[in-house]
Amino acid sequence: MGSVTRTKLMSVMALCAMIGLLLMPILVAIPALADGGAPAADAKKEGGEAKVEKGKDVYYKTEGIVSGPPAPKTTDSEKDYPRYNFESRVLLWFANQQHLYYGSFVLAVPIFCMVIEFMGVVSKDKAMAKRYDQLAYDFIKISLTAYSLTAILGGILIFTFLTLYPAFFQYLSGIFRPVMHIYALMFVAESGTLYIYYYGWDKMKEGFLKWIHLSMSVVLNVIGTILMFLANSWIGFMMSPAGVDEQGRYLGNIWHVIHTALWNPLNLHRILGNMAFGGGVVAAYAAYRFLSAKTDEERAHYDWMGYIAMALGVAFLIPLPFAGYWLMREVYAYRQQMGITLMGGLLAWLFIIQATMIGILFLSTNYYLWQALGRMRGAEKYQRYIKYLVFLLTCGYLVFITPHTIVMTPAELKAMGGQQHPVLGNYGVMSAKNGGINVIITTTVLSFVWYMRGNKVSTVSWAKFGNIFMGCFFFFAYLNIIMLAVYGYYIPANVRVGLSVPQVATTLSCLFFMFALNSVMMKGAKQMGPIEWGKISARSQYALIMLATAFTWMMGLMGYIRSSVRLFWHVNEIMRDNSPWAYTHTVGFAANMISANVLFFWISIMFVFWLGALAAKKAPVEAKAAVPGRAAAPAVGH
Amino acid sequence: MGQTIVYFVVSILICVSFFAAVDHFLMDAQGLDFWYLLRK
Repeated sequence: MGSVTRTKLMSVMALCAMIGLLLMPILVAIPALADGGAPAADAKKEGGEAKVEKGKDVYYKTEGIVSGPPAPKTTDSEKDYPRYNFESRVLLWFANQQHLYYGSFVLAVPIFCMVIEFMGVVSKDKAMAKRYDQLAYDFIKISLTAYSLTAILGGILIFTFLTLYPAFFQYLSGIFRPVMHIYALMFVAESGTLYIYYYGWDKMKEGFLKWIHLSMSVVLNVIGTILMFLANSWIGFMMSPAGVDEQGRYLGNIWHVIHTALWNPLNLHRILGNMAFGGGVVAAYAAYRFLSAKTDEERAHYDWMGYIAMALGVAFLIPLPFAGYWLMREVYAYRQQMGITLMGGLLAWLFIIQATMIGILFLSTNYYLWQALGRMRGAEKYQRYIKYLVFLLTCGYLVFITPHTIVMTPAELKAMGGQQHPVLGNYGVMSAKNGGINVIITTTVLSFVWYMRGNKVSTVSWAKFGNIFMGCFFFFAYLNIIMLAVYGYYIPANVRVGLSVPQVATTLSCLFFMFALNSVMMKGAKQMGPIEWGKISARSQYALIMLATAFTWMMGLMGYIRSSVRLFWHVNEIMRDNSPWAYTHTVGFAANMISANVLFFWISIMFVFWLGALAAKKAPVEAKAAVPGRAAAPAVGH
Repeated sequence: MGQTIVYFVVSILICVSFFAAVDHFLMDAQGLDFWYLLRK
């Protein structure tokens, strides 16, 4: 048997082993799932007439056999809440947030890696294919060190739960026993797959073996996504429990426990959020390497890497607010009071901060794109129009961050003539805010379209009509968004609430139709000059770092909001939090805590980046040469 | 010049019809009346 055939055989076997690892936890869990993951009703053991107690599912309203103990009624004692001389919740918050940051990063990066590797495989341009491959390799290299750190932080998180919240964790792990085992096995599968995928890169770099390697990345991402979905089921259960009766007793249907009211919206929101966050972190890494680069070649490579990471991150950022709306809609549908606490009550001010952060994300992205126009000859024609985009973004942003009401002294209240400002108060409602954010997103789409055609002139016969049509489409899209926002003031609330759907559809129409039309128009377009990668201002790289920091801060904020909405419940309406810390922190405290988490994450990830750079420096010359596409030259395409 | 005007007119017609359809049908799909204010 030739060595090539043997290698192919080994690769196929490795892929089969990965698929086996993926399926193993499910096969192992089948017996557990069949009996609902709980011992059969103990009553049956009594012999003779089995006394089966039935309960009613709090969410699905179905009947089921009681298969578990009720949720513990905890007291403020050392037994239920062992503690140091410090707030346990803050320790848990820190451990949880750090694990989530790293977890999100290592789940998102392999997805980018898969996409970029695929682009390399299907690319007809050999040099470009090599560069994509190198980029994908760079991506996975960063995530590998972070992966170990994620596992360590996961361990710290579990120990924190076990030692500081034993009663709650015992209850949760009792309910989710089979899910937690599947999760642990999935983690083993993820680790095995990741290491084979990374270390097999050079061995499987061409032909059939490359496709096997690419398939491995698909398996890796399927495992990663399932892992995240399983973890989401725990927080979904804590917010909107199902599969238990009103005492919190498990009713034997594990699917009900997993598939709670908020599980799917959480899954979608988290996967998009992770991708946007992962893109931001990799873009910041590239910016850091760009700023510290010594040669033009290095600068060109990291400029390109930063652009690709930013583009991927923003591609997931754009639909993120819509996934957020769906999540909020489901929250309102599940418990209206919960929605009011979030959007119009105790936590409403945090949403103003969130709006500010979203605005910063889009402003940074647009700023980066405008700076990036500078590395293209021919893009000067757009420079003079940028001020109009700045105007649109600023107006959208100011409306988007306007609060409905503000905290005031009686004297201030009297001076203003009421809780709402006579002029600005009009912008603090959802109708205006929806208009604001949609204007911001549409402007970002327009910036991207300009960037994509920066150094090109369309050569299609209908180019003139295409350009006029695109201009009209964007103009009427803006008009429609603003008109719908204004229209909302004149119609009743029950009709107004529906206007957000056509507003979103208008924005998405710009995204999909204009990107598609632009791509068709730019096919075979005349190039005014190549993209001069690396010839971009340092300011643009700071915009990427700003983007990543804003992502990190917003992720911490949204995690806090989502968790805080349970108020004094460990499991909403099922298990009460009787610790001394069952209150909602002040906005200031929460903001400081989020900032501390962000700071710690960035210091630790800088260490990870430094380690990555160290490994690259220490690599012997031969090993360096073996890395695909090491010599990075400026790419010609976007 | 004449051609440009034709392109503008055609583009405006397509865009206005498209966004009016988006508004009408997406509100209709939610069981809501987009033309509420006109009918009132």
